[in-house]
Amino acid sequence: MESSMSFPSGGAANNGSQQQQQQQAQQHPAAIREQDRLMPIANVIRIMRRVLPPHAKISDDAKETIQECVSEYISFITGEANERCQREQRKTITAEDVLWAMSRLGFDDYVEPLSVYLHRYRDLEGEARGGDHHNRSAMVKSSSSRHHHHHHDMQTMQHMYGAVPLQHHQGFAAPPHQYLPYPYDTYGGEHATVAYYGAGGGPYGPVGNGGGDGSGGSASQAGASFEHPFAYK
Amino acid sequence: MRQARPYSGMFCGGVSARTGPHALPLARIKKIMKRSAGEAAAGDGGARMISGEAPVVFSKACELFIAELTRRAWAATLEGKRRTVHREDVADAVRNTDLFDFLVDVVTNDND
Repeated sequence: MESSMSFPSGGAANNGSQQQQQQQAQQHPAAIREQDRLMPIANVIRIMRRVLPPHAKISDDAKETIQECVSEYISFITGEANERCQREQRKTITAEDVLWAMSRLGFDDYVEPLSVYLHRYRDLEGEARGGDHHNRSAMVKSSSSRHHHHHHDMQTMQHMYGAVPLQHHQGFAAPPHQYLPYPYDTYGGEHATVAYYGAGGGPYGPVGNGGGDGSGGSASQAGASFEHPFAYK
Repeated sequence: MRQARPYSGMFCGGVSARTGPHALPLARIKKIMKRSAGEAAAGDGGARMISGEAPVVFSKACELFIAELTRRAWAATLEGKRRTVHREDVADAVRNTDLFDFLVDVVTNDND
């Protein structure tokens, strides 16, 4: 087992509330660190708050309980997915296995939104790995999804997708597709982006393009080589 | 694991604390999956491998799950004419929902 801190047998180590909490949740002595088996509580709370009215409060034990429930949910679904892999003698649990397991265990309502999410993820990943053409389209799409983001420094945007990350973007918090997980209109800003790049070759400044993306950068200097910036709608 | 890439960075909550309101850390999800898969795989001699996409699906699924569980717990809170969601409300939500049967042990204190 990975990441396990083993206590001696009968290790009902009551080192504090953390261990006690784990013991309440688990039937056996707590041997695994919280940060290995639970989702970060801040993330959990954030998601909870999104569905609760503003005046609602959440007790600490409710937060921790839901934290535990999430991990149990992952384990529950994964167990089923894993059994299927074993039956079919496959070594790798895939996204499809996970979706199949969810459907089988009653979470079929989740399958459709998750499939949409997964397909968008795949599209993005495919483009991120693609050549300069793909990078171009991806970059444009990303800026469209960030149309509310008042960062008009094209060079900076470029570097998010170039080989050389721009220094001050090291801690860049929100990559352009921040809101991708929601099946909302990510590309609402398309028209804005066309105008943005309408002149052609605008975003491809000379800075930092000497890296792996060099060919893309120099090629794009031709500018108007792409009429429509989007590879697909 | 792809850490530095802008696309994946969104999905990897671990890259920056400010990756947006939606991200659940993929590495953590993968750890939990591995433990569950590893236990079950005791018989076939191989630890399960997990595709890169599987945790991505879970990151969104867990959001949906938390949202649903929270809404149902809140319904119990309202029934109690309260404004603070307590563990017992979560327990009520679990008891009242067949889908959440697998959570019964999590919300039940056997040590009381």
